[in-house]
Amino acid sequence: MAASVLCRRTAVLHRHFKHISGSQCAILLQTAKYNPRPLRLNLNEPYVPDKDSTKTPEWQKTAKYDAKLYGRYGSASGLDPARLWPSHGQLDNIITEEKEWQPSLEVMLKNIELKEKEETEKRQAKERLIAANMAKMPKMVADWRREKREAKQKQKDDKARREKLLAVARERFGFAVDPRSPKFLEMVAEIEKEDKKKKKLMKRMLKGEQAAAPVTPPAATS
Amino acid sequence: MSFPKKPGGKALDVLQNLPRISLANMRPEPGAGRTSKRRGRGQHGGNRSGRGHKGERQRGNRPRLGFEGGQTPFYLVIPKYGFNEGQSRRPQYQPLSLKRLQYLIDVGRVDTTQPVDLTQLVNGRGVTIQPLKKDYGVQLVDEGADIFAAKINIEVQRASEGAIAAIERNGGVITTTFYDPISLGILIKPVPFFLRGQPIPKRMLPGQDMVPYYTDAENRGYLADPEKIQQARLALAQKYGYILPDLSKDELYHMLSTRKDVRQIFFGLAPGWVVNMSEKKILKPTDEKLLQYYSS
Repeated sequence: MAASVLCRRTAVLHRHFKHISGSQCAILLQTAKYNPRPLRLNLNEPYVPDKDSTKTPEWQKTAKYDAKLYGRYGSASGLDPARLWPSHGQLDNIITEEKEWQPSLEVMLKNIELKEKEETEKRQAKERLIAANMAKMPKMVADWRREKREAKQKQKDDKARREKLLAVARERFGFAVDPRSPKFLEMVAEIEKEDKKKKKLMKRMLKGEQAAAPVTPPAATS
Repeated sequence: MSFPKKPGGKALDVLQNLPRISLANMRPEPGAGRTSKRRGRGQHGGNRSGRGHKGERQRGNRPRLGFEGGQTPFYLVIPKYGFNEGQSRRPQYQPLSLKRLQYLIDVGRVDTTQPVDLTQLVNGRGVTIQPLKKDYGVQLVDEGADIFAAKINIEVQRASEGAIAAIERNGGVITTTFYDPISLGILIKPVPFFLRGQPIPKRMLPGQDMVPYYTDAENRGYLADPEKIQQARLALAQKYGYILPDLSKDELYHMLSTRKDVRQIFFGLAPGWVVNMSEKKILKPTDEKLLQYYSS
């Protein structure tokens, strides 16, 4: 109540409201009405430029300025209001421009769908590739580990062989031979030759055994 | 017989009889103003007035901010990366908190008995929009969602989920719409536009990047399906834990359900009309081609 007394706006409304419906005494909050700035349109002395005179600047003879004149003075400007809208030619231009630069909602939605589909396809292809490669991984890991082990083993074998050769050379010559010297190399070549001969003999023997073995059992069974 | 005591009493008498307030009969509260520091009044005549001893400091010739004496400064050493790329072209939305909106409604600057539009907000000087600074409208922020208590039909350009929930919890309606920059300029300053004498243009559709936002029912977009919006309202009510009030039984249902057409800028005015302020008339085109263009 005090609030409405102090503020004259709500007071007036409060009294008015009371007249209407005394039973429902609700405080109606009045809104601050939009008090617009006064439009100084100068309707008593309108300035309408003379189209034919050469003294009027060019920009006062354009269609845009005419529209502004009409906007300010209305029919007092003496303009045909039909000129405010675009002519048929201008309208055609506008429509073609709009068609080119502003696609309709359906077209945009379709484009969005296509883009999304493309994106999901890409993503899924990538994921599939990753999955396939990950599936190969255990085998690749095992292979790699095996190769590493074999390389290590080979290295060890080589080292052992070289140690043996050095030992043999040591026994033969009586002193530590440099593995790069020609004597050592000759010795290595001899040993290899002997090894080859042995292997050949072994092969022949094995072949002879194999030839004998399949012949005799069928003879035994039959 | 006692008179009914006049409310206000002596205070009201005082208010009504004292002369009008002017600068001559007002003074600030004791302790209101803080006296500023005055340089050059200290012991020994102020001496250097707090400027230091010789050099650029005292003579006021210090180099620009960021200069490091010739060493490549920090702001040039760090290489560029596209964080701010296209920054000046990104759409901006002026934030409007629910706290401020509640304040505007309480004080009476925004009328809740009519649909609240960006025009109403700007008329009530609630927000300031600058379309030339890449502002594309106003966004509703959920600060003050706990104190918000007003049933309104509001139309903004972006809204956070909390803000949507707060408005719908109080029985209101919120819609997110798109205004292209020209339409926005017309929307926030309608009278200067009408003085230009141009026909009201069609509102353009959002660009392809914004179409998903405005066709989404979660954001209450104006291009979304009304059924999906209803489902989204129910889902949001469940998520935030309030009972969704039934709008069809509301007495203000007609006002709450008024929404603008996709191509409409003003309530009650269609594209193609010319509004004349001096004669208070509306001119409508009669040419078929124009009508077809403006209603497409």
